[in-house]
Amino acid sequence: MAGTAALEADLPLRQDSVRFAVIGDNGTGDRPQYDVAEEMEKFHETVKFDFVLMLGDNIYGGSSAADMKRKFEDPYKPLLDSGVKFYASLGNHDNPNERFYKPFNMGEKRYYSFKKGNAEFYALDSTYMDPTQIDWLTNALRKSNAAWKICYFHHPLYSDGKFHGPDTDLRTRIEPIFEANGVRVVLSGHEHVYERLKPHNGIYYFVLGNSGELRPHNLRASPDAAKGFDTDRAFMMMEIAGDQLFFETVSRSGKTVDSGEIDRQ
Amino acid sequence: MRPALLVVSLLAAFGPPVDMLAGDQSVNAGSAVIQDFEKRVSAYLQLRRNAESSLHALKATDSPEKIADHQNELAHAVRNARKSAREGDIFTSPAGVEIRRLLRFAMRPADAPHVRQSLQHAEPVRLHLHVGDTYPAHVPLQSTPPTILENLPKLPPEIEYRITGRDLVLLDTKANLVLDIIENVFP
Repeated sequence: MAGTAALEADLPLRQDSVRFAVIGDNGTGDRPQYDVAEEMEKFHETVKFDFVLMLGDNIYGGSSAADMKRKFEDPYKPLLDSGVKFYASLGNHDNPNERFYKPFNMGEKRYYSFKKGNAEFYALDSTYMDPTQIDWLTNALRKSNAAWKICYFHHPLYSDGKFHGPDTDLRTRIEPIFEANGVRVVLSGHEHVYERLKPHNGIYYFVLGNSGELRPHNLRASPDAAKGFDTDRAFMMMEIAGDQLFFETVSRSGKTVDSGEIDRQ
Repeated sequence: MRPALLVVSLLAAFGPPVDMLAGDQSVNAGSAVIQDFEKRVSAYLQLRRNAESSLHALKATDSPEKIADHQNELAHAVRNARKSAREGDIFTSPAGVEIRRLLRFAMRPADAPHVRQSLQHAEPVRLHLHVGDTYPAHVPLQSTPPTILENLPKLPPEIEYRITGRDLVLLDTKANLVLDIIENVFP
């Protein structure tokens, strides 16, 4: 996108910070997905995030070469060409064999972790949370000495979306593991809205399922909600600088719809 | 007669109490059924390994065509090797009974509301599949509630329990192939 003006973000952009973007339910191949991708590229010129977390439903309606091109390679081409890496998690619309698709950086695994700076990220497969994955997650979190532990997966444990709502069976199984092992931020998609929940037992839950898809006006009023946005698409950027995590949620039109700061406990 | 000897004598004459005997037999019978089920799954995996050995190994690739081709070729090779496969080959009738019994544990009062909610919120799929079918690309996979997975026999990687409508499906995710089905398991 030559000639596009870089945009100012609400992030502090400190030296040596870990900077990344987040998208969820993005893989439609429709114009709104491309619009969000263009906004991401504009902000990338300033923020210079170097990786993107994908919260599942990365590709809708099949994963043929034509699908991957239209629903991933083309919209994010400028970011990919700039060396930005995408780390995908699987949603219910994803073919599990997407784990073999190199640009998703899944290492052929349904669930995996990786480190960036003082943060460790855990990409989970919430479509199939079997005891083996739960054991892996417990051990991986327990042995990590990362200052920040961030988990991301498709089905939200908390959500005020009217269409789906939270997965409480998943919640009963993995929330205690998060709480016992110092997870501070959890990101999920599936609900085609944006929502930031008030923290539950010290954990900040975000729902971001509107980076391509959208279900307008689908959020119900709730005392658990800190912020919601359900009238257009959005993506997030996050910056981890030492003991602080900054976040900013940006709409398809480039407007900041939420921002804030989370301190490490 | 010493009390211990009396008990032994009574047991020798009449056998252990009926409940205890029935419980032991039920647990042993269930274990035997699950062992048989696991053997059938292992046998399938060996068949799949043999089928896959004739293909180029699939590694992480930039090419979606290679991924799709491998999936399709693997499915084709497995179908050829299982031409007579039919419902009940892996989910045998006794396995179906045992799995229904195990699923009742998943629906204990403490867990049932969460499992039901998970099933409802996971974008339920209304689809009736058959052995040897490919899972359709345009139909999302319903997530399988963790409590259900906790109570069912463990499966090797790439073989999964999936739910379509009221049916429990055994799915090979790498070949994207339906291996077996137990119909009308879920309400």
